[in-house]
Amino acid sequence: MEFQSCFDIIGPIMVGPSSSHTAGVVSIGKFIYELLGDYPQETNIVFYDSFAETYQGHGTDKALLGGLLGMNTDDSQIKYALEKAKECGMQYQFEFENICEYMDHPNTTIVTAKRDDHVVTVGGVSLGGGLSKIFMIDDEMVSIRLSAGDDFSILAKPYQRKEKVLVKAI
Amino acid sequence: MMEIQSMKELIEACEREKKSISEMMLMVEAKKSGRDEDTIIRMMEERLIKMKEAVDSGIKDASTAPSGISGGDAVKMSEYVRQGKSLSGDYISNAMSFSLATSENNARMGVIVATPTAGAAGILPGVLFSLHKNDGTPYKELVKGLFTASMLGLVIANRSFISGAAGGCQAEVGSATAMAAGTIVELKGGTPQQVVNATAIAMKSLLGLVCDPVGGLVEVPCIKRNVIGTSIAFSAADMSLAGVESRIPCDEVIEAMYKVGKDMPRTLRETALGGLAMTETGKEVKERLFCRKS
Ligand code: SF4
Repeated sequence: MEFQSCFDIIGPIMVGPSSSHTAGVVSIGKFIYELLGDYPQETNIVFYDSFAETYQGHGTDKALLGGLLGMNTDDSQIKYALEKAKECGMQYQFEFENICEYMDHPNTTIVTAKRDDHVVTVGGVSLGGGLSKIFMIDDEMVSIRLSAGDDFSILAKPYQRKEKVLVKAI
Repeated sequence: MMEIQSMKELIEACEREKKSISEMMLMVEAKKSGRDEDTIIRMMEERLIKMKEAVDSGIKDASTAPSGISGGDAVKMSEYVRQGKSLSGDYISNAMSFSLATSENNARMGVIVATPTAGAAGILPGVLFSLHKNDGTPYKELVKGLFTASMLGLVIANRSFISGAAGGCQAEVGSATAMAAGTIVELKGGTPQQVVNATAIAMKSLLGLVCDPVGGLVEVPCIKRNVIGTSIAFSAADMSLAGVESRIPCDEVIEAMYKVGKDMPRTLRETALGGLAMTETGKEVKERLFCRKS
C-alpha cells in the first residue's frame, strides 16, 4: 500500500501542471537538498522514460531544480527555478535515457549532487498524485516515501553523512 | 490497524460501524496518522479553500498558458452558461465552467490541489462547487465530500494506478471522475453501496482512455477531458441514485483498469508519442514549442 493518507489523494497543494512530473519531482529535489543540508553547487540529473520525453512540457526540470534549491511543491517561484539556479551559481546538467536499470517505472530520475566535498547519488521515482519514493542513496537500495506535507529533513537525517570524504567525483 | 483494501471491504466496514464513507476515512486517517480529527478536518478545509481560489481566479482569467495552446475557455463557457444558453442543465454546466477554470489555472502553473493528480484537478472541484451553487450544499459538507473522494481514491490507487504515465488517462481522469461520481452520491444521501456503484459506472465509461498529451503538456486534451469528466460524474451519480446497478462490481472494474493499463503501450502513457500527441497538429505544436530550444 503505497498510498496511505487521504492527503495522498486530495493534495498536494501545488503549482501545476503535473502532480507526477512537477510536484512529485519537487519533493525528490527537496529531499536531496535536505540530505546535503543546502543546495548543491553541482548536479547531474538523469531523466528516464516518460520524464525524458515530456520534461519540458511539465516543467520537470524546473521542478527538480526548485526542489534542489529548497522550494516546496506550492512555491510560485518554481517557474523561475532555472534562473534561480543560475543566480546561485549552481552548475547543472541534464541527461536523458530510456530505461533505468534500478527501477521499473516511467517516472524515474537519478540525481548526483555535490556540495563542497559531499557527493550523493539519489534515485527517485514519482508514483503519481504528488507522492514519490527515494529508492536509492549512493549504492544502497532504500525505500523512503515522500508525501508533500512531510518534513523531509527528518526523513533525510539517518542518511546524512557528516564528515565523509569525497568518494566519487561527478 | 484498520486497512481497507477493496471497495467490498469498505462497504462492509461502513455497514458494520454504521458510518458513511467520509466518516470512515476520517476515522482511518486519525488512527493511521495519529492526528486528531479536528486537525485533519482543518487540513482538508485548507485544501477546499485552495480549490475555491483556483476556481475563482481561473473563471475570470482569459489569459493563455505559456504554451499558447490553452486558456480563455473558462471565461467563454461561464458567459455562455450565464446567458442561460446551456443545454446540459445547471449542475453540469456550472461544473463544466468550474473545472475549466481549475484546469486552465493548472496549465498556467498556478496553484491547484491535485485530486488525485494535477492533470485531473478540475473534476472534483467542478462538481463540488456546482453542488454548492445549485443546491446550497454547505462548505462543511463539501469538506466531507473530499473525505469520501479520498477514500475511494485510496482504494483505486492501491489496487491500480492514478497516473497517466503508469496507466493511461483512464487512471487519471478516469479515477478522478469515478471519485467525483461517488462523492456526489454520498453528498446526496446515497448509501455506501450506491457510492461505490456510481464509482464503478463512471470508471467503466472511461476504461481504455489513453494518455496522449500534445507536446507532453497537461493541456490538450487534458483540460476538456476534465470538463467532460464532470458530466460523466453527474450521469453516473444519477444512475446510481435511481437504483441502476453496475453489473460488474467496482473492485473488478478497478482490476480491469489495472490490466488494461498494463497492456497499454508506452506510447500511450504520457510519453506524448501516440494518440492526439502524434496527430499532424499535435506534432506541429510540439515542434513549435520545443525544437527551437533543443
Ligand atoms: S491525457 Fe494524460 S496528461 Fe492529460 S489528463 Fe489524461 S492522463 Fe493526464
